[in-house]
Amino acid sequence: MAELYGVAGKIARVDLTAGTVSVIEPDEKVYRKFLGGSALGAYYLFKEGIYDPNLDPLGPDNLLQFMVGPVTGGSPNARITLVTKSAYNFFCASTCGGHFGAELKFAGWDGIQVVGKASKPVYLAVVDDKIEIRDASHVWGMGVEEAELILKSEVLAETEYREGMIRDADLTPEWAALRPPKRQGLNNKRLAHVMAIGPGGENQVWYSCVVTEGARAAGRYGAGAVMGSKNLKAVVVRGTKGHKLADKKTFLALINGLQKTELKNIQRRLYGTTGAGGAHSYVEDGYPIRNWQWCSWSDPNMRSIAGPFIDSASFVRHQSCYGCNMPCLKPVEITSKDPMLNGVLSDMPDWEAMGMVGGNLGYMEMEGADPAQPFKGTIKDQAENLAKLQYTTFLHDNYSLDFIEGGNNLALLMELIQRGFIDKTDLDGIDLKWGDVHAVDALFKKIVYREGIGDKLAQGTYETARYFAELKGKPEILDYSQTAHFYGQPAHGTRSPVKKNALEYVTVNRPCSHVGGGGAGFAKDDYAAAITDQNEVAATNSLVFCYFSQGEWGSFKIDLIKAATGWNDFTIEELREIGAREYALSRLFDVHVRQLKDPKAEWDRQTPPRWFNDPLPNGPFKGSQSYDGKPDVLYNEALPAYWKERGWTEDKGIPTQETLKKLGIEDIAGDIAAKHM
Amino acid sequence: MAEVKRRDETPNPTKEPKKETKDTPSGGVSRREFLIGSGAGVAGLVIGGVVGNQLIGKPAAPAVVVPDVVAPAEGAESPYKSGYTLMFDPVQCTGCMLCAAACSEKYGAFLHPEETAHVLSLEFARIRPMRFQYVDVVNVCSYCTLLEFSEGSTKFPCEAVCPEEAIITVPEGEGVEGYYGMGYKWVDRDKCLGVDKCWRCAEICEDQFASGMSYDPIDRKAQVCSRCGGDPECVRACPEPGALTWVPAGRNGREYAYHPSDMAELLYRKMYSTVREEL
Repeated sequence: MAELYGVAGKIARVDLTAGTVSVIEPDEKVYRKFLGGSALGAYYLFKEGIYDPNLDPLGPDNLLQFMVGPVTGGSPNARITLVTKSAYNFFCASTCGGHFGAELKFAGWDGIQVVGKASKPVYLAVVDDKIEIRDASHVWGMGVEEAELILKSEVLAETEYREGMIRDADLTPEWAALRPPKRQGLNNKRLAHVMAIGPGGENQVWYSCVVTEGARAAGRYGAGAVMGSKNLKAVVVRGTKGHKLADKKTFLALINGLQKTELKNIQRRLYGTTGAGGAHSYVEDGYPIRNWQWCSWSDPNMRSIAGPFIDSASFVRHQSCYGCNMPCLKPVEITSKDPMLNGVLSDMPDWEAMGMVGGNLGYMEMEGADPAQPFKGTIKDQAENLAKLQYTTFLHDNYSLDFIEGGNNLALLMELIQRGFIDKTDLDGIDLKWGDVHAVDALFKKIVYREGIGDKLAQGTYETARYFAELKGKPEILDYSQTAHFYGQPAHGTRSPVKKNALEYVTVNRPCSHVGGGGAGFAKDDYAAAITDQNEVAATNSLVFCYFSQGEWGSFKIDLIKAATGWNDFTIEELREIGAREYALSRLFDVHVRQLKDPKAEWDRQTPPRWFNDPLPNGPFKGSQSYDGKPDVLYNEALPAYWKERGWTEDKGIPTQETLKKLGIEDIAGDIAAKHM
Repeated sequence: MAEVKRRDETPNPTKEPKKETKDTPSGGVSRREFLIGSGAGVAGLVIGGVVGNQLIGKPAAPAVVVPDVVAPAEGAESPYKSGYTLMFDPVQCTGCMLCAAACSEKYGAFLHPEETAHVLSLEFARIRPMRFQYVDVVNVCSYCTLLEFSEGSTKFPCEAVCPEEAIITVPEGEGVEGYYGMGYKWVDRDKCLGVDKCWRCAEICEDQFASGMSYDPIDRKAQVCSRCGGDPECVRACPEPGALTWVPAGRNGREYAYHPSDMAELLYRKMYSTVREEL
């Protein structure tokens, strides 16, 4: 095989049942067609038949993949994508920043695939070519922060262990008398990186995530539950081999240029949504308050979720992913009058946390007030509200749950209580009210450990609604589930005319993803433009590169790929085609896994009725609704037109054989598509 | 063949680096005199006129382009400074690793131009930032010296335990511009036994001081920060104002030296008022 650049050329395959590790060496053609990350992961889901509807996502046969792409490694903003079949029975491709992705490439791998199930808790220790399956009983049950620290030092200490050589005679006599050598050198360094699950993943809460560096999570779609189902606590990576690049000089020149321009851009430097980016206007139209009953406060003096306020009150420093100078993670130490919150280490919150486990849980208003009333508290009250929000972020990170789905889940329960559908006896006596962080803490831990009612709630927002709808015999409870494609809606509303278009959530290939792109195209009903953008964004998850720093690197991503891989005839069209492949594969995956007879009715129409039925109650866009309150326009006009533009059938949204042939994936997906025509 | 640039034909004798004299074989002569005077008999030592690349037994590297280095005009101040040190501000540092990437890039290209022509690696870096979740620790040799009154020597600890005298100080006026010289440390790779046979330098550093030694993954020989001979690449690469600076050394470096995990513990206390037991 010709020497490969950019990509490492091999993927590790770990079978936890058998306890074996083998190596897959994909052909260069496969890399060129799928790059890496989510598209390559989707390819393996098809190649290995994971689309089988009888294959239990939480059973041993499911395939969990940690995938990186050709530019992960040397280039800044390195990310990793986790691809698997979600516990929700849909396509899961979840990405995460930090140093883990780069480290995995430095170790010489394009990915790690995990199948099977270990008989007892294990973790993977990856040191360059050597992959070992090791006992993790001693960290099972721990939060991600603690487990990560312990495993990191364990693996590293072994790599550097050696007999001590220094003797007293090597020192001067005075020195030896004063401080004889004690061989205390081990276990000081931290040159490895870890992705781990907490108790949420171990107990297979459907929406549990995989976390690295304490607070960076491959958050969505429940990869943590799949990891937990395999008894896999963590993956520890130490890589020393480096990233092979076809044209290193050009590659470095490009990324140095990127870093220089990024450095001059204050918007980027203060990034992380809560920096300069968190413009107040954003809160005026698409922000979730109390399970999306409101999307803005009538009183604009609501500072707890404003970047400058959060910065003044709590940011200690900034943290970057590998090689990036857009340091978007801001660690904080929570300061509060409440001893439960005080002194807990957390981060930011970022925009999604601000919305989903902030405003959405009613943390921001004073007790007894609603969002339409003036804020009567002081700056201290604002700071206390911020602390509640940061604490709930910490809970989700440390116990490894997705706070977008988790925020929707908790807010749904709060609204059901508000409307009198359920009461505290339904929640094992927990008196869950808007803004009560102690009740949230108690219920959250029930979910994480699947105790009592927590066991029902651990299956996500939609299943929670369904459970109570059946229990109470009131199907209208389902109307309060803020989910699209059965997964929680992120903190970007669809009802205001300037924010997300509802069609973005309906068409994006990963259920209810807020980073699918295409917004500008959808706003003008220009589906071709929207599809182009969606494809490019999807390919970003195959590179794997950071969506947030796109503004800087987007214009020369093709040059970057060329320099890394040496594919000098690579074009932007080819990149978009990779995104189109992922869209086609993930669509077929969802349709087949769920055995949808009528995908539009059973799958695509699962959106929050609130989008179309409840006009915004206040704010600058008071009275507006998604698609002017006409869902039929969306589903019967816009969606078929979009599908047609994609080369999918207009009735069901199934990629046609011609489309699959054009994309070169008829061999892996043609049969499945034919079954659903 | 790479050209050896002598950046100062007539080094200022008053600026001679303070060096240990007691243990040198030639008795009372200064290190500099020793180096020059016995150069012929001490094969491989870096002395004026010896090409840096001969030292490591490699064919001469193509001239490495050091970005933005402009030779100072007549009478202007040289960018290469002696008696300076690296200062790291843990609050400003974001843990982006750009310092390590820059160091590794430069040093890897110098040592192994062929092997690293297509590889971007962090392993040649002598500055090694480490992430402890909410804090980042930049770990680099802080130039500790022993204290005569208590430890009986003024050598660097790593130098003191090296059985081969491979850790040397290259005086001002010698060395290769941009890599070593100006009174900073350097590892004589002909003498270094490598990590598989020896590695005492790292052991004493990690036992009593910090974690300033690393090794290059190809030859497996010791690496230590040479301050790029007075104009460190890591400082140029650092994007955060004030996070990593190049300042006159005011104190013995050992006052800045901590084991990375101990430093992280201190930073948790400093920044988050938090005590962590298990780091």
